[in-house]
Amino acid sequence: MSATRTTTAPGPAATRPTPPHRPRRRRSLPARIALYGTLGLLLLVFAAPLLWALSGSFKPRGDIFDYPPTLVPDPATTENYRNLLGGQPFWNWFAISVVTALTATTIAVFVCALAGFAFAKYRFAGKKVLFNVMFSSLSVPFAVILVPLFILVVKSGLANPWFALIVPWVAPAFGIFMMQQYIIQSIPDEILEAARLDGNSEFGIFRRVVLPLLRPSLGALGVWQFLQSYNSFLWPLVLISDTDQYTLPLGLNILFRAESRAFDLVLPGAVLASVPTIAVFLLLRKQLLEGLSAGAVKG
Amino acid sequence: MTSRRNLAPYAFIAPFYVLYGLFMVVPIGVACYLSLTEWVGLGTPTFIGFDNFTDLARDTSFHKALGNSLIFILVSLFLVVPCALLIAQLLNTRGLRARDLFRVTFFLPMVLSPIVIALLYSLLLDREYGLVNSVLRALFGFGGADWLGDPTLAKVSIGFVLLWRWTGYLTIFFLAALQAVPRELYESAELDGAGTVRQFTTVTLPSIRPVTAFVVVTSFIGAAQLFDEPYLITGGGPGEETLTVAQFVYRAAFERQQFGYAAAAGLVLFVIVFGLSQLLNRLLRIGRTA
Repeated sequence: MSATRTTTAPGPAATRPTPPHRPRRRRSLPARIALYGTLGLLLLVFAAPLLWALSGSFKPRGDIFDYPPTLVPDPATTENYRNLLGGQPFWNWFAISVVTALTATTIAVFVCALAGFAFAKYRFAGKKVLFNVMFSSLSVPFAVILVPLFILVVKSGLANPWFALIVPWVAPAFGIFMMQQYIIQSIPDEILEAARLDGNSEFGIFRRVVLPLLRPSLGALGVWQFLQSYNSFLWPLVLISDTDQYTLPLGLNILFRAESRAFDLVLPGAVLASVPTIAVFLLLRKQLLEGLSAGAVKG
Repeated sequence: MTSRRNLAPYAFIAPFYVLYGLFMVVPIGVACYLSLTEWVGLGTPTFIGFDNFTDLARDTSFHKALGNSLIFILVSLFLVVPCALLIAQLLNTRGLRARDLFRVTFFLPMVLSPIVIALLYSLLLDREYGLVNSVLRALFGFGGADWLGDPTLAKVSIGFVLLWRWTGYLTIFFLAALQAVPRELYESAELDGAGTVRQFTTVTLPSIRPVTAFVVVTSFIGAAQLFDEPYLITGGGPGEETLTVAQFVYRAAFERQQFGYAAAAGLVLFVIVFGLSQLLNRLLRIGRTA
């Protein structure tokens, strides 16, 4: 029944049988065709470039620009991948990106959950001001701190990827906001009181009671933070000059610029670079999509 | 015990404020100082007062960058945000099959690295080899558009990439908001004789106001500091037609060694973005704790 009732309106008449208003039912087939047609077209617009890149990465150099474009490479070859992995320090770049992103993610999730917990469940003097300060840091454009941060990090001798790609980014205000919203919604005060009566310290409550209950939202924040770190471009670009310490985006950028039209080399790089993020996203998409929306809906 | 309980929240938020101080407050302070100096990155900065700011006020490149950033902000607010709402509306249709497939696919571009997106679109929009021109040539016999080299088309191209990359992300927020609207509201609106459009303006829009506010403000801030897409796809070109303020700052500091000038430009952006977003926050009342 729900399938035949599909309308383009946000489903007003659909919950209850409302006898007088029935024209919708007759319009429902064309409406449905229009709906699925539009969504299908959008699906094509969003997915086609990706599929095309994927298929291009398995094509011999001469076939990549063939018209009409073919989705299934014929002949298919893994030569592009072998050339990339054999001739470029791809795995180095990959390792730096993944390790720094994972480290930043782990710390950020912990820091944000802790701060989010404080803002959600405690009353304390200055809370409102501190919250507003935290929240308004969202509206500081990165361009304003780019130059001074670069200078500070270089002057203090900390301009190596293990510090500079990780530490400045482990406390995103967005993450704290997201955690706070989540904790308000999903952790009842009674549980905390009970844990207090059992003699837990405040941090013990966080670690033993709150963290386990937060697991889905930690996943959401984790994916979000991983995407931010792994995909970040501008900061690594100004910070890292040594090709051995390049992150993946920097490495691909160099390939892209240096080897003119070496798309047979860059396409497999793009595909491989996307594997971790797409995998993480597909595995944890439910948490991520719901986590993102939970933060905003209440706000 | 009570005192420990009183101190606990401060201890819990301390890591954030320590990092905030070190990597946000201190750099902004340094930016303020640098903006009053001339400095090539070596030796001591020379104090020059407000010269950087008066120079910026006369710098046509900076005006261009501000104008371009404004265009991309307008694209985000008046194209990306409405498209996201429209798609969310479609996805919220009752009984829609494969909703998750659509949702996930639309979100996918947001997951990709900007360099991957840049690479893809450089290929697709290439004047001679690009798939877009090939398709146009095959369908209409015309396919010579210089998507990345023509001043107007380059802006259009970057605008499209922004649309492609961010619409699905914003859709998630709108969809969640739409799903939270109580169905009874639509039913009573319908009983009052409201059609689809009336229902949208009288029920949907007011109900999703908080989320819209959030989306508008974050889109504004994101678009105002746009760097990756134009830098990677057009390099800010042709000429300075897609140069944004963030790129201007980067170029001044890291290509021309004008650190003081770059800091001043960054501060101008900061004042504009921070001021306007605080104003928007106030007007739209977002991010308030219960």
